[in-house]
Amino acid sequence: MNTRSLPTLPGIITKLNALTNNDKSSVQEMARLVSSDQVLSARILKLANSPSYGFYRVSTISNAMILLGVNVIKSLALSSSIFEIMEKSSVGLWEHSLGAGVAANVIARHLNLPECEEISTAALLHDIGKVIVRLNFGDDYRQLLALVEEKDISMLEAERELLGTDHAQVGAWLATGWNLPDKLIEPICCHHDVKTSENFRIKSSVVHLADILVKASGFGFSGDDLVPRVQPLAWETLGMTEPILEGLIEELEDKLIDTKNFSLEMQGSDESEV
Amino acid sequence: MQKIPLLQAGSGMVLARDIVRTENPNGPPICGKGVALTDSLIERLKRMEVTTVTVEGRPVFVEGDKSPEEILTCFDKRFKKVEDDPLTSKLKKVYRNYLVKALGE
Repeated sequence: MNTRSLPTLPGIITKLNALTNNDKSSVQEMARLVSSDQVLSARILKLANSPSYGFYRVSTISNAMILLGVNVIKSLALSSSIFEIMEKSSVGLWEHSLGAGVAANVIARHLNLPECEEISTAALLHDIGKVIVRLNFGDDYRQLLALVEEKDISMLEAERELLGTDHAQVGAWLATGWNLPDKLIEPICCHHDVKTSENFRIKSSVVHLADILVKASGFGFSGDDLVPRVQPLAWETLGMTEPILEGLIEELEDKLIDTKNFSLEMQGSDESEV
Repeated sequence: MQKIPLLQAGSGMVLARDIVRTENPNGPPICGKGVALTDSLIERLKRMEVTTVTVEGRPVFVEGDKSPEEILTCFDKRFKKVEDDPLTSKLKKVYRNYLVKALGE
């Protein structure tokens, strides 16, 4: 499927340019910026994992940036359609993905899990299937939103009813096509059904819970505003308890304010650019 | 007390917490609590890459223009499909308690 035309936020490009022109900036800084855009992150990982490079399965943005080089990243960002004007619904989806990435990072650090960056990346990409459905099947997407509204069901149910598949499957299918590592594919595929995740159940559980927490917080918009059911298996896998959850929520709410600030900033530079 | 994005801060708001540098949170504060913000001060903070400030009261309604009651009503609505689920209800209870506490301050 063609992902060359997926839009990226113009604000990111301006910032990335400023960072690359400053010799004091580090790859980590750039990686942090790139990780705030699920589409750009997906494209970078896709390129880093393409067989023509021959790298062994790259799963973090900072590794991909070091392997590909900053100039490649810059041109990738630039080649996304800069003048694509953000519609309200895609800002919501972008915020939802970003929020889930933040939530996953908070969970992973609280629980001292290994591979925090991979987990955040998986959460950032968990709804990439929705971006694809939205961009490639615009009419279907509008129908989906109408169906969500009309029947008062979740986006997931609407997708299954209308398309016979769902964004988790579409996302996983794409990620597989892009040769992304399994530790990213599995959480994308299983974030609504943790029991089907066999090899990376902890990661899938974190993404599952991150999705739920962000939906509970009301940050961003992923197509519907219904909090999904917490799966007992995910809860057990993470050894979740009420006191841990309390700490998670407190930190997440705090972080989401910074995220909102970042989002406003990105949209602000959007307007001045166009 | 409310933590808000700097972009939503306005002159006249009073700092409820010290502002510290993002890259050195344990270092000396850039601006102490009790200080009233001015446009030029906000501009300078922006240049210092400060992204959020904590101010007295609740001057900004981040989620549209919702009152605390409305925020809680919307919060409850998001859970309407999963009321019967024990684990999700547990999560809701913890989250709601946090919100009530945060909004009450």
